[in-house]
Amino acid sequence: MGLLEVKDLQAGYGKVDVLFGVSFSLEAGQSLGIVGPNGAGKSTLMKAIAGEVAMKSGTVQLQGSPITGKKPEDVVRLGLSLVPEGRQIFGGLTVTENLMLGLTGRRDKSSAKQALDQVRGLFPVLNTHADYQAGMLSGGQQQQLAIARALVADPKVLLLDEPSLGLAPTVIMDVFSKLKEIIALGTSVVIVEQRAHLVTAFANKTLIIRAGKIQATLTPEDAKDEAALRRAYFGAGA
Amino acid sequence: MQAILDAISLGGTYALAALGLGLVFGVMRLVNFAHAELITISAYLMVVTNDLPLLLSFLLAALGAALLAIVTELAIYRRLRGTGPAIMLIASFGLSVGLQKSYELIFGALPRSAAVAPWMTGSFEFAGLNFTISSIVTVAITIAILLAMGYLIERTTLGLQLRAAATDFKTARLLGVRSNRLIGSAFAISGILAASVGFILVVENPQVDPMFGLNITILALVGIVIGGISSLRGAALGGFIVGFILSILNTYLGNARVYAYSYLFLAVVIILLVRPGGILSKRNEMERV
Repeated sequence: MGLLEVKDLQAGYGKVDVLFGVSFSLEAGQSLGIVGPNGAGKSTLMKAIAGEVAMKSGTVQLQGSPITGKKPEDVVRLGLSLVPEGRQIFGGLTVTENLMLGLTGRRDKSSAKQALDQVRGLFPVLNTHADYQAGMLSGGQQQQLAIARALVADPKVLLLDEPSLGLAPTVIMDVFSKLKEIIALGTSVVIVEQRAHLVTAFANKTLIIRAGKIQATLTPEDAKDEAALRRAYFGAGA
Repeated sequence: MQAILDAISLGGTYALAALGLGLVFGVMRLVNFAHAELITISAYLMVVTNDLPLLLSFLLAALGAALLAIVTELAIYRRLRGTGPAIMLIASFGLSVGLQKSYELIFGALPRSAAVAPWMTGSFEFAGLNFTISSIVTVAITIAILLAMGYLIERTTLGLQLRAAATDFKTARLLGVRSNRLIGSAFAISGILAASVGFILVVENPQVDPMFGLNITILALVGIVIGGISSLRGAALGGFIVGFILSILNTYLGNARVYAYSYLFLAVVIILLVRPGGILSKRNEMERV
């Protein structure tokens, strides 16, 4: 049994289905990439796992316990945090206030200070800019804040929806190097991205999703073959 | 001087009404027209418990308004969450009218009256100027409540969650903010604020009828729009501006005071033309892209 087990997940919006029986497993200490073109259902998958979008069928288990159908505020308390697409930091609040909000979903409040110290060590800019309005940070700094805010809840699994969105290439590499540190500290990571090459090379395993279904599973070795990667990403006709 | 004090007093009262409405709007995007009936029930409760000590009478009124606010959230708004703003708005209209009719059945259509805190209706002279006690007390109460609300919103965890939810409730929930608990708290606080407004109004005008809280609620809604609809500070500021302008107009227009609302709404139109998102909107939307 993996740390996160998703089985036959079907979800959508109203009468429109977006995901059609998605299944995958994430082991402790591992990273999983999910890539695919626009409209493939990547963000819906993240939202369904985190409880933001209602599932129509299927199951999600975290550490062997079902989290299917739970509210987002309960899912985070069970150990799964989502860094949403576009970061969604609270621009009108300070950096510290954003981090304090992240503590809301933490079960063990007695170690909250250590958690804050840990993320400030991981992302020093959050220390030097503690009293800045979060909306005044650069895109890369905002992404660091969004990840730190999710981390202080002490998740076993961290879901990241397009963490590279709107960032310069050098900043993207910084973010991914921080993700390596986070995995080394014991948090497993699921990364949704459109940058197939980057994620395939980074993650232990990468799933290609198209039209709401898992189409292929790739390993870091596959990142070396651009043509095969393109075929897997766009389909056989690419 | 008395006119300025009266204007500050009325402005403060409208600020409290607007803050109560703004709290609920912030977490639910709901324009709660039934806020008027929270003000009304608190005024009725203070009239019927007038024989009790004033503080106890007010506490009962605040408890009643807070309970009614929570019951309306549990029984109606919670069930309609996610149905869209138009349905929520119509529901709040329906609830407002339904509560007015219920008050009519319980308390009668004619005004119920009692001298609540009669010692506040007197006046005194200071430095050659005449002051009414009620305006002094109202200003003091308003400042105390606004300071307490400022502390709650700016310095407490609940306040931080309310501010976050007012900006983006979905993301706040992803971080663990419990939606039902937060919305329930916002309704309870809005009930207590409504009771504060009810107390101030019933001292000034001890004639309570089923539509007692309607006028101030509608004008407080106008205040929220001009202050900045997504900001609690904006709501309080907008409410204060509306009450202040209205009081000044009523004082200085003399026989032409029938046009006070016309001038008030002209001022509102000008403010919105200059700042379409409300007075504090630009500051709140400050964001580096």
